Amino acid sequence: MKAHKPSTTEELIKTAQALRWEVGTELHDAAIESMYREAARIAQRVVSTKTAEPAARFDRTLDRLLTSRLFGFPIMFLMLGVVFWITIEGANVPSGFLSQLLVDTVHPALKEIGVSVGLPWWLNGFLFDGMYLAMAWVVSVMLPPMAIFFPLFTLLEDFGYLPRVAFNLDALFRRAGAHGKQALTMAMGYGCNAAAIVSTRIIDSPRERILAILTNNFSLCNGRWPTQILMATIFIGALVPPHLAGAVSAIAVVSVVLIGIVFTFLVSWGLSQTILKGEASMFSLELPPYRPPRLWQTLYTSVIDRTLIVLWRAVVWALPAGAVIWLVSNIHVGGQNLAHHIVEALDPVGILIGLNGVILLAYIIAIPANEIVIPTILMLTVLVTGITDVGSGAGVMFELETESATAAILHAGGWTLLTGINLMLFSLLHNPCSTTLYTIYKETGSAKWTWLSALLPLSLAFIVCFFTAQIGRLVGIG
Amino acid sequence: MTPFELLIAGVLVCGLAAVLLWPRNGIVARWRTSRERSTRSLLEDALKHLYDCEYRNIPCTLERLAGTLSISGEAAAKLILRLESMRLATRTERELRLTAEGRSYALRMIRVHRLWERYLADETNVAERDWHTEAEQQEHRISAEEADELARRLGNPLYDPHGDPIPSAAGSLPQQQGVPLTSLDRGVVARIVHLEDEPEALYAQLVAVGLGPGIQIRLINRTPDRIVFEANGEEIVLAPVVAANVFVLPLAAEKWSAVSHETLAHLNVGEQGMVVGLSPLCRGLQRRRLMDLGIVPGTMVEAEMRSPFGDPTSYKIRGASIALRKQQAELIYVSRKEKAA
Amino acid sequence: MGPLEQCEVCPVNTQSKLQRLGIDVGKYDYVVALAGNPNVGKSTVFNALTGLRQHTGNWPGKTVVRAEGAFSYEGKRYKVVDLPGTYSLLSTSADEEVAREFLLFGQPDVTVIVVDATRLERNLNLVLQVLEITNKAVVCLNLVDEARRHGVTVDDRGLARDLGVPVVPTAARSNQGIPALLRAMADVATGVFICKPKRVPMDSPKLRKAVEELTSNIEKVFPGLPNARWVALRLLEGDQRVLEAVTSGELGRLTDRTVARGLEFSLTQEQQRYESTQAIYH
Repeated sequence: MKAHKPSTTEELIKTAQALRWEVGTELHDAAIESMYREAARIAQRVVSTKTAEPAARFDRTLDRLLTSRLFGFPIMFLMLGVVFWITIEGANVPSGFLSQLLVDTVHPALKEIGVSVGLPWWLNGFLFDGMYLAMAWVVSVMLPPMAIFFPLFTLLEDFGYLPRVAFNLDALFRRAGAHGKQALTMAMGYGCNAAAIVSTRIIDSPRERILAILTNNFSLCNGRWPTQILMATIFIGALVPPHLAGAVSAIAVVSVVLIGIVFTFLVSWGLSQTILKGEASMFSLELPPYRPPRLWQTLYTSVIDRTLIVLWRAVVWALPAGAVIWLVSNIHVGGQNLAHHIVEALDPVGILIGLNGVILLAYIIAIPANEIVIPTILMLTVLVTGITDVGSGAGVMFELETESATAAILHAGGWTLLTGINLMLFSLLHNPCSTTLYTIYKETGSAKWTWLSALLPLSLAFIVCFFTAQIGRLVGIG
Repeated sequence: MTPFELLIAGVLVCGLAAVLLWPRNGIVARWRTSRERSTRSLLEDALKHLYDCEYRNIPCTLERLAGTLSISGEAAAKLILRLESMRLATRTERELRLTAEGRSYALRMIRVHRLWERYLADETNVAERDWHTEAEQQEHRISAEEADELARRLGNPLYDPHGDPIPSAAGSLPQQQGVPLTSLDRGVVARIVHLEDEPEALYAQLVAVGLGPGIQIRLINRTPDRIVFEANGEEIVLAPVVAANVFVLPLAAEKWSAVSHETLAHLNVGEQGMVVGLSPLCRGLQRRRLMDLGIVPGTMVEAEMRSPFGDPTSYKIRGASIALRKQQAELIYVSRKEKAA
Repeated sequence: MGPLEQCEVCPVNTQSKLQRLGIDVGKYDYVVALAGNPNVGKSTVFNALTGLRQHTGNWPGKTVVRAEGAFSYEGKRYKVVDLPGTYSLLSTSADEEVAREFLLFGQPDVTVIVVDATRLERNLNLVLQVLEITNKAVVCLNLVDEARRHGVTVDDRGLARDLGVPVVPTAARSNQGIPALLRAMADVATGVFICKPKRVPMDSPKLRKAVEELTSNIEKVFPGLPNARWVALRLLEGDQRVLEAVTSGELGRLTDRTVARGLEFSLTQEQQRYESTQAIYH
């Protein structure tokens, strides 16, 4: 096939260049126009429409209802409220069951097997108290809510409701330089930030997508809810008479969520005015027709695509974290374990921002998953304060049956109301877990955005906690 | 330290960090830009200026060069000596000229500059008034290969967003089209082909009134101290010194009536319109996406419903429901149609 | 893919028609490209063909990366390439580049263009553009069930006549119409059905003249090129990839695949003689 001669190819390119200057920039638009004109002609011939069909009328009526000034927002809050309620209520039972199985039954069994096959104590502890336990903890706390939340969310998505939510809320996000669809990635973030990062793919404008990724951390994820609830109950609920305690701690948690939303908007706005000012940006939002959701398929794909992938990543990260947690508590240097030394070194910084060294160390070594932060804090507190009658030994994470028992340990560790409040703020604002960071790196393919998404929230957390601590001490709650 | 002292210290540290590190206006950012204005960029700017004089057929003098680069006459003379020793320019009694080598160097600079402006206009959200300044910096940083790669990605564009032709990699450039707006007669219809982007203050004025290449205008009145014309459905008044920076190509008068200045944003819910065109100010990603969605001349559009906050609005476009923000709808010209019963 | 590999598969297992092979692409006889607008159920069609379960959702643009899968039909193995969902092929976005380059240089044996029956008009824009590039295409008129619910009926025979390629109505979510789609794909891929795709002339006389001039030049330099007009359009748009293909002569290899395939088949039968002839020349 040597049909062409070099000279003619050159001539061809020359002709093309000359013609380009002639047709100029009109060609592109004109080509698309011609195509569409033909498309319209063909469509007119072959498509016939009866608008009176009930389904079309149903779609229009539903659209009017879901986006109306009067009912739009109440319906939205109701829908999301129901989803969260089902998730929280529904997750309790399987979570308890998994925890019973993996932590209370399998863990001791594994250790016994380890002893019976003659493993040295340190290997036994390293493998089962460290790596296995961290993984078991993550699975039992993380799996059930995700396996409930994601399918529910996917059903709403499949039905076509979520784009309407974006449509209703877009005006708010526009003012912050963001896209209405960010409302959905935020909502997803309340389930899991890592999964929410993946879901930002629905935002097709570059700037708005980066914004959604960088601020998703301010949506309190599933792993951080228990921390918030525990702190609110122990430190804030305790301030009021017992019959009000429940309501007051609930209000405290909701306030933290609201602070998160405020930060999402503020940070979005700030970023879009500064570093993201020049990023390309465009808005388009298609409102697809409503489709009856397919239950089984949704269940299958959302469990496979979202839950298991995220869970797998979390487990992969939890194993080394468990190992590190065990090691810092069991390696001794100069008569003290490593954890003790690090806590002592971190204490000045921790106290400056109204926390303490134990909390900072827990956040450093439990970076793979927020779920294991509280168990690690408890273990470290017991280790450092030298309390002997609770816990299961150095490097073994645990939780206690009652809140009062937990409170006792924390008070013994020198915690005050200020520590509680600051931990709530720190937990809301600090850097995303390593699973999320890894996902951000995968999705953006950029080390720059990944670093920014870790350092920006972290510095915000330090700044906010620092000022809260000083003000708190001035008013005398620290 | 007491909490109070710490509080004050914290505020001070945060303030200091902001002043230092603020993007663009922070001390660190300013220091970096100032460092980049090196001898090399001065030489390159001088070459560009010489080429510009040549292209426009005006003699280039030392004073003019010094003025454009805002340097002293002495510094300009030194610069010319450097250029001469590099065999990029020659100097006669009255004017400065480029050598062939100098000319191709200058064209390379212009290519990078205009490509970068095209890139900023199409692929980024950088404000129009910042394009020129940013391109002025980039042109000294980008290599010829990087410029070719950029051109490839942009689909080898022909013009920069001000309507200036972009030299090809081989360095060819067609003659400039169009006449200054100040030379038009009353009632003439024309299309803007080019806006001079220097001096910046005048260019900013043109951008502020919404002018850009591709926009049609009609001259209403011309007096020695003002030019009045219609564009984008509005009456615009410019001083002659500003209007001289607008270059236009006269069109047949009947083209004018075809232009509608009602936009999609004017449609109320339930009303229908036919798209007659997209504003030339709608560029790059935004323009591409709107056309992809089927918003091209001849498309029927119906406003379906508004969001509870009043913006965005959902439109029925070729069978699909597409929500657009008001800001975008204002870039789409329509002619209103009575809805068929 | 060598001609011999095709025959290894030929006699095997013709009774079971569709066999889904998931991601096991392995050796294949034909390449199927799957094109379409975002959110028209392209992933659903992909899943129905390959048995894979890519996530689908009621959102435009779920599939971000190019996915591949395979199936076997009437004893032939097909590789399916799921292209990114795009509205058009004429712009400079990364997604469109991937789709455009695969259609032009990857030379699929059949391109299935999935369209949404409820929004046919907008979808036809992409169909017409794809038909500029390839003349071996099948239109999969998806979501007909949804269209019916919304009171929209599409005359698929009329559409096939207008476009010059087979049109198969499907409801991929419930597997309706997939057998007919497979039939049409096989017919086009194997050359049983010869498409006569619709090509749309430019409206403006000035542009039409420019495009026609360049097209005839291209046809002179690369005789037998099935999409000379598309190449002309791309050159006028300044597409660097096409420009390079012209310069390097790569474009010359993109002559009609039906012809190439015909050659391949006759070669299979005369493989030995061909090889011995070569031996003589050396």
